[in-house]
Amino acid sequence: MLITIDVHSGVPAYRQLVDQIRLQVAGGRLQPGDEIPSTRALSAELGLNPMTISRAYALLEEEGILERRPGLPLVVRARSGATTATARGAQLSKALRPLASMARQLGISGKEAGDALRRLIDDHER
Amino acid sequence: MGEMIFEASGLTKEFGAVTALRDVSLTLTGPSIIGLIGRNASGKTTLLRHIVGLQLPTRGRARTLGVATRSLQHEQLARIGMVPDAPTFIRWMSVREQLRYLSAFYPRWDMERQSSLGGLLDLDLHADISGLSTGSAQKLAIVAALCHHPDLILLDEPVSNLDPIARDQFLKLLLDIVQEDNATIVISSHVLHDIESTVDWIVCMNAGAVAADAALDDLKDQYAEWRVLARTRDLPDRFYDPFVVRQTVMEPRRARLVVRTADADLLAFQRTHDADVEVAPLNLQGLFPILVDNGRH
Repeated sequence: MLITIDVHSGVPAYRQLVDQIRLQVAGGRLQPGDEIPSTRALSAELGLNPMTISRAYALLEEEGILERRPGLPLVVRARSGATTATARGAQLSKALRPLASMARQLGISGKEAGDALRRLIDDHER
Repeated sequence: MGEMIFEASGLTKEFGAVTALRDVSLTLTGPSIIGLIGRNASGKTTLLRHIVGLQLPTRGRARTLGVATRSLQHEQLARIGMVPDAPTFIRWMSVREQLRYLSAFYPRWDMERQSSLGGLLDLDLHADISGLSTGSAQKLAIVAALCHHPDLILLDEPVSNLDPIARDQFLKLLLDIVQEDNATIVISSHVLHDIESTVDWIVCMNAGAVAADAALDDLKDQYAEWRVLARTRDLPDRFYDPFVVRQTVMEPRRARLVVRTADADLLAFQRTHDADVEVAPLNLQGLFPILVDNGRH
């Protein structure tokens, strides 16, 4: 699992962690049954407060994305809500919101912005 | 979970005409790493000294590890480790001798931890105390405060004299210790950038009073910066919306606001002022002036 947290960005660290794991599950980079690093291991890796990590894990557990089993590492749950099309759409909308605001400030129409986005996706696939 | 580590109610400390702590009511529970922040002379050091009973309240109550601080006994003190703002040692000893001397007071002293901490911080055990630089004295104070596996660790500006590498090692060490010992760590610091990834809780002092006492991530959720760009008409000289806690109108059509997110209505605001608003989160450095201001109201 590859996680990058920018603690100085102002976005709460627990939320960055939740968003990234959610995204990786939605995109299939984390598969059902995959083990999630322990609080301790991730805290050592990221230099991040362990209570903050526990808070993120607890939230993901509540959402049904992670599953806690006594004495074993946390795993990605078999059928989690995060992989549905609606959940993936929600992730994307969230990421696009600041772009929408920028497009408006630059006076770029929805159609133009959509075309620009489409070109980028096509380029990426090529 | 969450043992009550320290509890103050109505805690006031006066030094003659100066009020150093003003009606402080505060409960600290662990395990946690608590960042104690505030401007100079806001009461941080005085509060730390009250937690360990080095100073006693003029009025009000203070209890540490379940005992009134004026009656703390060896049993409680042996569970506390402290790095004071100006550590002092016995001048004619070497570093090793000083540590051996201290270890005699603590049944839980861990020689293995002593050597691993000493190695991690690059502390020279053979150096003479009298010749220690400020930074080395601070390293010694850190090792001396942590080897007995304390449940409560009080650190008064511990990183200020450490070089960047030692600082980084030290902060990572705190992450280890809080998990290994289930400890509660209170760390006072002006270097907000350094402690931002380490702490989970913030206590902010202002003029002797508690101005903020909350989870760091919750504070980040509670406030945001709005960068406002009016499209068609000038912005007012001043915003009177109750959710605006700070404001700078930079140009007639450009303003920078800090808002309380819970009651800030972005859409209504954009409509009222016909403005584009870029919402940006605030890091600890950005939050600091707002938290300090809170204490004024």
